[in-house]
Amino acid sequence: MIIQTWALLVDAYRELNAKKLFWITMLLNLGAVALFAALGISERGPTFLHWTFDNDLMNTRLVSKELFYKTQFVSWGIPVWLSWVATILALVSTAGLIPELISGGVIETVLSKPIGRVRLLLTKYLCGLLFVTAQVFVFSLGCFLVLGIRGGSFVPELFVAVPIVVLFFSYLFSVCVLIGLVTRSTIAALLLTVVFWFAVFIVNLGDEIVLAQAEGAAVKAEDAQKNLENQITLADRLLEQQAQSGVELADADGNPIEGLDARREAVNIALASSRARVTEREESAEQWQKWTDRVMLAKTILPKTQETIGLLSRYMLSMDDLKKMMAEDAGFDPEDMEDAPAFADPRVATRLEERKRGRTVFWVIGTSVAFEVLVLGLATVIFVRRDF
Amino acid sequence: MSDLALDLQHVAKTYKGKVKALRGIEMSVARGEVFGLLGPNGAGKSTLVKILMTVISPSECRGSMLGHAVGHKPTLANVGYLPEHHRFPKYLKGAQVLDFFGAMGGVPRRERKLRTGQLLEIVGMSEWAKKKVGGYSKGMRQRLGIAQALMNDPKLVVLDEPTDGVDPVGRRDIRDIVARLRDEQRTVFINSHLLSELEMVCDRVAILVQGTVRSQGTIDELTVGQDSYEIEILPSGEGADALGTFRRALPGEVNAAGGATSAGLTKLAGFRGSLADGTSVEIEKSTLRLGTADPHAIEPVIDALRAQGVTIRSLRQRRPSLEDLFMQAVTDPETGQSLKPGAAKDAKKGAAR
Repeated sequence: MIIQTWALLVDAYRELNAKKLFWITMLLNLGAVALFAALGISERGPTFLHWTFDNDLMNTRLVSKELFYKTQFVSWGIPVWLSWVATILALVSTAGLIPELISGGVIETVLSKPIGRVRLLLTKYLCGLLFVTAQVFVFSLGCFLVLGIRGGSFVPELFVAVPIVVLFFSYLFSVCVLIGLVTRSTIAALLLTVVFWFAVFIVNLGDEIVLAQAEGAAVKAEDAQKNLENQITLADRLLEQQAQSGVELADADGNPIEGLDARREAVNIALASSRARVTEREESAEQWQKWTDRVMLAKTILPKTQETIGLLSRYMLSMDDLKKMMAEDAGFDPEDMEDAPAFADPRVATRLEERKRGRTVFWVIGTSVAFEVLVLGLATVIFVRRDF
Repeated sequence: MSDLALDLQHVAKTYKGKVKALRGIEMSVARGEVFGLLGPNGAGKSTLVKILMTVISPSECRGSMLGHAVGHKPTLANVGYLPEHHRFPKYLKGAQVLDFFGAMGGVPRRERKLRTGQLLEIVGMSEWAKKKVGGYSKGMRQRLGIAQALMNDPKLVVLDEPTDGVDPVGRRDIRDIVARLRDEQRTVFINSHLLSELEMVCDRVAILVQGTVRSQGTIDELTVGQDSYEIEILPSGEGADALGTFRRALPGEVNAAGGATSAGLTKLAGFRGSLADGTSVEIEKSTLRLGTADPHAIEPVIDALRAQGVTIRSLRQRRPSLEDLFMQAVTDPETGQSLKPGAAKDAKKGAAR
């Protein structure tokens, strides 16, 4: 059993090695690490090689070197490089593994050996994942050294990137395996996987937008509530002054105004519109919340690519770290955000991040792995039942 | 332990679309024999081989291979297989191909290393061991394929068209390898179109036609009662009537096939019929073929021909070749036409005639 598994691993390596893509991807990974190392931060601002870019918000007086590098890793190392560039390269490299295995003239020989079809398929699948593991490990090791040497702090948590990125890739690769098995075509497997990935991306984007709108609406509802409370305080103060002056409050017909709310509105004409605004914004927040629930339902059955990668940010940067990087700590005035879109409000960004971090690891990984198991299960059934 | 390497009692396969590729194969292959499987295109030969190798799942299958049920994966550790139109990954070198498929067969590393060298030597590919398969010719790939099939030191070797694309020298080498395997008491199951090749190496054969075994046995068993003598005469002159000459030399009345008698014989290019004792008679141009293995039976005919002053050019005993058997098997006895190639689509419409 071990002999066969090892043989399949060595064969997968030889296949990838023959395509040269393994080494090209490895070199690109090292290039990305070199780029990461070329970045730096000084008292004046960020640096690249010997160039310094003056920046009042991003310099060592405000941000430590460690935090700067961590942020760079989380800002582009994970979401841009590992999530997109390296993943596309990995898909290009591994998309042919299954179509090549089941191609005429090859599969007959392999199936005639004493190895079960389930084990054969799953071992090939693991071979694809091992390729990505090697790539991510090299990138992570490089970044770990850059962070330690340039940032002054070795952060072993960074290696969490390896299982997380491999897990993220495994969602897509399971789809690639299924499509490759059904179509027997490398090109179709690659293109349709990318289309699927794009569909998941669109759902994630929708989730991001709906969630931001919901949080924005909630923030605005809270602002309106605060404003209402201020207006009430102001009205109470005016009523108190009214009482002290001995003047009785009356309506246009000269009748005395009864009831506290009516009396408050009589002395503070802005109060009624504030109440209306609260109602309107609470309704809006409720509507957005309903949309959030709907999108969540769609997300639950799909693999959580973005959230899985987002788990890395959770490990690498605490909420305190994030807040330091956000405008909330830089003299932000909520009044300026009154008519601004939800995305522009740093409070929304913070709450959005908090809300996303509120999604449990079990939900993120559990439902995604369930999807993957389902897809792989389907692929296995097809592979086991097919006549070649 | 069963004496049979293969004991198939009812193997059937119906593909999607109701194409019946196999309709209940009954076949047995003894251990240590070289068995040939032949049949026209679409007869179901490759389907049968693929079922044995678990590449295709049967619709129905009763029987065993090396004492275990067909489809029993661990048994395949003792089986070597050369698929038809096999294709090895181009990125592998010859020795790597053997090492990979040996490992897939569960052969330990040390043994693989040893056998790789030995087998490459046997198939005459030692000099190509470190060259990539992508640069091999068809014949070289076939030689490597045979070596691959032997990597696990198999008790049963299944070769699907082993001489496909191989030159005459290569074919002879492959025959030698098969002979060597027989000497080593291994069972060899060969599926081939090249009837002459099979005839030279096989102990027993089976002829598959439209998904059923039309006949099986040793060539001697299959040709029992089909020996004949051929007498070829030299035409005695311009416009000589060979048909009449032979007719006069044959004892008694000759019944033509279909019930006519020799009385109605004319100058035809050929004739088929039988003597009163049932011996078949076939006349074709200047050759008379008498369906008997008894040399005494033809002596009077020779005497009669000589008495007519006819010169006998040749006299030879003839035994049907595998090709003759094959052609008999694929010919409809009622119409005399070759059966259509391919599997039948529907049980009623396309049943084997």
